[in-house]
Parts: sequence; structure tokens; C-alpha cells
Amino acid sequence: MELVGTSQKTVTARAAGLVACTRCARAWPLKTEVCGRCGAKLVSRDVHSLQRVWALWLVGMMCYVPANVYPMLRTKQLFQVDESTIISGAVELAQHGAFGIATIILVASVVIPLGKFWAIAFLALSVREKGGYASRHRLLMYEVVEYIGRWSMIDIFVVAILSALVQLQGLASITPGPAAFFFALSVIFTMLSAQSIDPRMIWDAQAGTDEASGNG
Amino acid sequence: MVETPPKVEIEKTRKRGFSAIALVWIIPVLALVVALGVAWQSYSARGPVIVVTFTDGSGIAAGETKLKYRDIEVGEVEEVGFSQGLGEVEVHIRLKKNIAAYVDESSVFWIIQPEVTAQGISGLSTVLSGVYIEGSWDNEIGTAATRFKGSDVAPLIKPGDSGLQIAFRTTTNGSLTDNAPIMFRGIQVGQIGRAQIARSGAFAITEGLIYEEHRHLVNSSTRFWETSGFTVSIGPTGADIDFTSLATLVGGGITFDTFVSGGDDVRDGEVFEVFEEKEAARNSLFTTSEVDPLRLSIIFDENVSGLTVGAPVELSGFRVGSVESLSGIVDFNQFGDSRVRLNVIVSIQPARFGMTGDASAETALKLMQDRVVNGLRARLASAGLLTGGLKVELVEVEDAPLARLTQSGFDLPIIPTTKSETSDAAATVDGVFTRINNLPIEELLNSAINVMNSAETLMSNGDLQKVPGDVSTLLSDISSIVTSEDVKNIPVALNATLTRVEGLVAELERQRIAEVLGKTLTSASEAADAVTSSVAGVPELVANIQTVAAKAATMEFDVLIKELTSLTSSAEALVSSPETAQLPVALAGALDQLNATLKELREGGAVQNVNQTLASARTAADSIAVSARDLPQVIARLNGLFAQAGQTIEGFNQGEELSRSAQSALRDIQQAAKALEKLARTIERNPNSLLLGR
Repeated sequence: MELVGTSQKTVTARAAGLVACTRCARAWPLKTEVCGRCGAKLVSRDVHSLQRVWALWLVGMMCYVPANVYPMLRTKQLFQVDESTIISGAVELAQHGAFGIATIILVASVVIPLGKFWAIAFLALSVREKGGYASRHRLLMYEVVEYIGRWSMIDIFVVAILSALVQLQGLASITPGPAAFFFALSVIFTMLSAQSIDPRMIWDAQAGTDEASGNG
Repeated sequence: MVETPPKVEIEKTRKRGFSAIALVWIIPVLALVVALGVAWQSYSARGPVIVVTFTDGSGIAAGETKLKYRDIEVGEVEEVGFSQGLGEVEVHIRLKKNIAAYVDESSVFWIIQPEVTAQGISGLSTVLSGVYIEGSWDNEIGTAATRFKGSDVAPLIKPGDSGLQIAFRTTTNGSLTDNAPIMFRGIQVGQIGRAQIARSGAFAITEGLIYEEHRHLVNSSTRFWETSGFTVSIGPTGADIDFTSLATLVGGGITFDTFVSGGDDVRDGEVFEVFEEKEAARNSLFTTSEVDPLRLSIIFDENVSGLTVGAPVELSGFRVGSVESLSGIVDFNQFGDSRVRLNVIVSIQPARFGMTGDASAETALKLMQDRVVNGLRARLASAGLLTGGLKVELVEVEDAPLARLTQSGFDLPIIPTTKSETSDAAATVDGVFTRINNLPIEELLNSAINVMNSAETLMSNGDLQKVPGDVSTLLSDISSIVTSEDVKNIPVALNATLTRVEGLVAELERQRIAEVLGKTLTSASEAADAVTSSVAGVPELVANIQTVAAKAATMEFDVLIKELTSLTSSAEALVSSPETAQLPVALAGALDQLNATLKELREGGAVQNVNQTLASARTAADSIAVSARDLPQVIARLNGLFAQAGQTIEGFNQGEELSRSAQSALRDIQQAAKALEKLARTIERNPNSLLLGR
């Protein structure tokens, strides 16, 4: 089989007259509308994909702003109410010497979400670009973003556990602040946004360049 | 051969127009709309910012300190800073929109923090929650303002408060305590604010509030006085401590009363004087007049030591005013020399002159001028003999050199003076002291010492000292009576008597034995006599003797023993009988009685009586003893009998059997007699053995 393992020329399913089911990965002849195996709708290329990516990316970005401005945790101790945002909380932890936890929080709540925004934007912008960055690396980036996205929820998870555990009437109680809600929304929307990318387009661009270089 | 899939037609499925835009964009648009909506809403709900300045911002923190109105949060401190030149602390407060309109010019702000005063503890909640700013404003929308001056303490009268707002002024000796309660019949009906010194420095002044519901209690004839602390008075009715309440004891307070009826209503802003005590307040009602006092100056050349501020100014003994101030004055132009004179400023109540019509300072001055021309002069006089205090007297001096009440410029009119009485008075006092000084106190003391000395000698006089000795002798006499041999002998004699009685009893018992024995032996002796008389009837005699002996051996001794036993047991019973047991008690009682009668002993010669009685008892006992002496005689007779019997029996030695049996019988009898003798001796030796069973 010559087609297999050739690195010089990438043949997309579409070029091969096939359409892959994105859900069960069964390849069907082009123009097949519904996957015969799992019943999913078959589209060779999702033309609205990028618009969805951008729209959801924007909402995620919008939610990320209040998530950092508003307090994440409301800690009530006897007579004192402490409200800390994500960053101030991490800074406070660092000041108390808990650098490890501060780092985890900063990475999970700041570095990763911001990296995701950047990665999605980069992918969405560069997906049409021919050449430039290696398609394989872009795919890797996409997969990393997809994989790591869910870990951003660790912050929400911590808040949820804390508020469930620390409810000592009057003495001390922890309640989630408005930032938790927005942060969760932000994570959800960025995940949706990342999922909306049709990675097949990466290969279209690759194919384009290949074609151009091969023909030219 | 590479199989190339057929070229696929790529359909351009992109639709045209509106539908080309993915529906997904609705989401960010919606989010944007919501965000903008929320932003606008929160912005529009924000109230205005006001700036309140405080002298210091104790505990105020931006974003934390709240503004409260009637304890409800109506704003929050947004920013804390300094005013231009760091003079004050500026606190920027974001008001809530719904109350912002009411925060107008009349609003007042103060900081609530924990405070401990004599009236109690306030603001305790702020210990934990931190301080907050309390605002107060009325419920009408007035002229808007954004800058306010905060007060350091809670204002007494808050905007919108109802109640009678009056002011208080202290009198000379009165005092005011900050925030002291105004009590009426023990109930707080108002409160005074923070006392301040009036601008003139003459008195303290403070605002006061009578609560609305008690407003009617105060009218123009109401007088206030302070009740702070407590008064202790000691009078004919005893000591009296008086304080209204613990709060006023510690923190002071004022109370009031309306002593006369018919006062006018009081409007806000009226000024009342606070007197130092109730009496002063009551008196003031009848003595004070509304007009200003007439102030006059008096210049004295003499020594005025003893004249003090507040000393009375009297006209013919009637107080018309008081000394207001004392100061030295040197005026070469006026007096022609540079001596220091004393300038006394007195204030005179025109009303006290009893002038008809308007009593004012002016009319009083006119009157004074008139009187001075007629000889009215001021002089110093002693207020009290011992205190050395002085007062100012206004007296009419006859033949006084013409003088006028002069007034130059702004100086006070000066009353001319006349020779003071003080020197006389002082001289009198001096004289009194001199006289006291001259009193022969030392002689008095000396004679007092002499009196004491002679008293001592009297005391140390031998005769006087003997008195205790006599008393002692008397006592020892009494003691000797008690311990006298006679008295002492009573128990001994009693003892002897008792012993004798005991012996008598024993003898009596013995006599009975002796009687029995006597009878028995008599019969035995008769028998023996019969034996002696009729030798012929020897066998019968022997038989008789045998029977006698047998009787003596068996029956009589049995009886004797029985009797002795019964005697012993009866004696035992006697000894162990409760009566005997009670005998000591009875004796003790008897002795007690004896003791009790000891006092009478001496007079009545009872001792002799007792002694006589005892003596007769002794004789009785002796006679008993004499009768008891018969026993040996009985025994002697018995012995004689036996001897006779022995001789008789020896005569019958021939008949062996007879003699043997007779001898044995006689031996038996002899033994019995010996036993009897032994018994008798034993009894004689030891009569107690009868009782004790030995």
C-alpha cells in the first residue's frame, strides 16, 4: 500500500472521496449524510466551525474577566469575612509560604486558561494558513488544549468541596463567590470552543500546501 | 498501480445572507447584553458619594466601615484620605440611593466606637465588628450637600428629634458633667450634652434635652440643681446620706423641681442655671431678679485679709450683693501716692433694695448716688468673730465728709469708704485671744497636778490600803467558819454515827442470834441441870444429851447456818437494794442541805445541836453495843455449862459405853460450843463478816 506511511503527500479523507464519522470514526463514501453505524450526521467539513469557535471563545473570554475581578471564595470566620479573588488568594497563600499550592492554583486557574485562549485563537487563525507552522504540531497543540481544558475546572472543584465541607454555622463558613460561577462558565465555553475546531481543516491546509508544492 | 480515488466535487454548501452567520453568535451577544445590563443596573443603583471630615479616623477602613442610620446600613466608606494640608480625615461614603436624598445639610455624622462612661457602656457591638459611622438626619428632603463635618461624639440632639431643647449654665460653685442624665423623681427625663466653658470663662454651659413626653414638667419657674455625688449631713436626727441614684453618684446628674406654680411655657433655647443644691435652687426662685446686677468698685486702704470673693455685701445687715473680685490698684493720679490699695468689685442686686417700680442697674445706681451724698459709705466689717472673715457693709455715716459716687469713663463707679470696723473687731478677737493667752493655764495645770498628787497620796494611804486587808480578813473569817473544826467534824461525827449505826445493826442481828443461841443454850443448860440433878436417869440423860447434841449438831446449826445464810443474803439484799444504792445520793442531798444550812449554823448554834444529836446517837449506839456485850456472857455461861457437863460426865466414867457415848456427845457439844465460841469471836473480831458472809 503506497498510500500508507507516505509523508510526502497527505491525502485527506475528503480527497479520497470519503467522509469520516467524527463520532465513531467509520469512513463513509462522500455525500453520505448519516452515519449508518451510529446515526451521527456526517459532514465532510464543518463550514461554521470557525465561527462557532470564535463565538464561544469570545464568551469564554468575557466570562474570564469577572472570574478574576470578583471574589472566588467568601470565607466567614466568626466576625470576619474574607473575600479573595483567584490571584489574591494565590498571592496570600504564597505569602503564607504555601508556594506549591499557590503555584498549582496559579497554573490551573490562570496559566492554563490563558494558554487555552491563546492556543485556540492561534489554531483558529492559523487553520486556514497554508504553510507556517507544522500541521502535526498544530494537531498536537489542539489535542493538548482539548485534554488539558478539563483540568481548569480544578479550581471550581476545590471551591465546591470547600463550600460543602466548611459550613460550621456561625463559626466559619465558606461560600463560593460570583467569580466561581464565571470561572466555570469561562472554562465551559473555552472547552466548547476548543471542541468546535474541526481539526480536519488543519489537514486541508496541509493538503493545500502539499498540492501547491507538488503541482508547482 | 496507484489507485487514485476519483476527484470529488466539492460542493460549496455555504449559504448566502443571514443564514451564513452561524446561530452560535447569539451566545456572545446574549452574554454581552446581560453583562451590559448588569453593569448599567449596578451603576444606576449607585448612590452619590458624600465626604465627611473627622479629626481622626479611628478604625475607619475603606470598603469595610459602614454608614448606619438608625442601625441600618445605608452606605459604605469607599475611600479614606486627608484633606488639604492634612488637617482632617476625609471619609468618602457611598450612600444608598434610596436614602441619598434625605442626607441634606442638616445631617450629622459621628463615629460609633466602644465607650465606657459613668452612664454605662455603649457601642459594645463595635468591639467585634469594628467601628461604624452613624448618621442622623430628619425625614424631610432638604438642601442637598456633599461635604459634612463629622462630630467626634454623638450629638445630644439629633436632627428630627423632638423634645425640649434648653441650655444649662452653671452658677458659681456648680458643676456640670458631660452627658449627665436629667432626673425627675428618680426617672430620667432628659440628658445634658457636653459641657463647655462659656466664652467669657465665667461659667460652663451645655445644651440639654428634655424628652418630648416630659416637656410639660419644665416651665419658667423650674429650677435645676445638681445631684452629683452624695451629701452627708449630721444633725439632731442623726447622720443622713443622700444620693439620688448610683448613676448620678458616679457620673453626676441634675434634677429639677417647680417650686411655685404659674410659670410660663418654655421655648427651645431657654437657658437655665444649674444650682449646686436644692436649697440654693429654691432660694434663687425667691431672691434672684431678672435684671443685671449693679457693679460697683470700692477702694480700701486698709488690710483686707479675710475678704474673699463671694463675701457678702450687706446693707444694715441685709445682704444685697456679694464681692465679685479683688485686685490691687496703684494710681498716683487718683490717690496722690503710690501705695497699693485694694480694689474690691461688688455686685449688688437692685431688686434687693426693694425699690418700687422697675428695679434695674441704672435706677439702683441713681439710688446709690443719692444715698452716698447722704452719707452712705462702704466699710469692712467682720463677718464672724472666729473665722476672721470679712464682709463689706454699706452704712450711713453721720457727719461724713461730702463725697460722691463717681464714675469716670468705663471704670466702675466707686463708693467712698469710711473707717472699717475690722480693726476693732480684729482687736476684739485679738483681745479675746490675749485674754485666753493670759489665762493662768499653767497654774491651773499645776493645781490640777497637785490635786492629782494628793489624790494619789490618799490612795496610797495605809488606812485605805488596809481596807482590802479587812475585807480579806472578813473573807478568811467566813472561810474559817466553813473550815472550822466543828463544821469539819460534822462529816466525821456523821461518819462515826453511821459506823455505829452499822455496828448497831450488826449487833442487833447478832443479838438475835445470841437470843436464839441463848434460848438453845438455856435449854441445854436446863437439860444439863436435869442431867446433874438426876444422875439416875443417865441413859435418858444421855439420850437427851444425844438428842440435844444431835439437835445441836444438826438442827440448830442447820438453822444457824440457814439463819446466817438468810442474814447474809438479807444483808446482801440490803446492800444491793436500790435504797442502799440511793443512800449515797440521799447522803449527798443531806450534805447539800447541810451545806445550805451552814450559813445559818453560826447564828442558830446548829453545830452544837448536831453534835448533841450525834452524841445521843452515839450513846444509843453505845447502849446497843453494851447489849451486844451480853454475847460473851452467854458464851461464858455456855462454857460454864459445858464445864459443868464435863464434870458431870466425868462422874460417869465407869460405864464405858455410856461414858464413851456421853464423852462423844459431850465432845460433840464441846466442839459445837467451841465452834460457837469461834464464831462468836470471829463475829466479835469482825462484825463485818456477818454482812460480808465470811
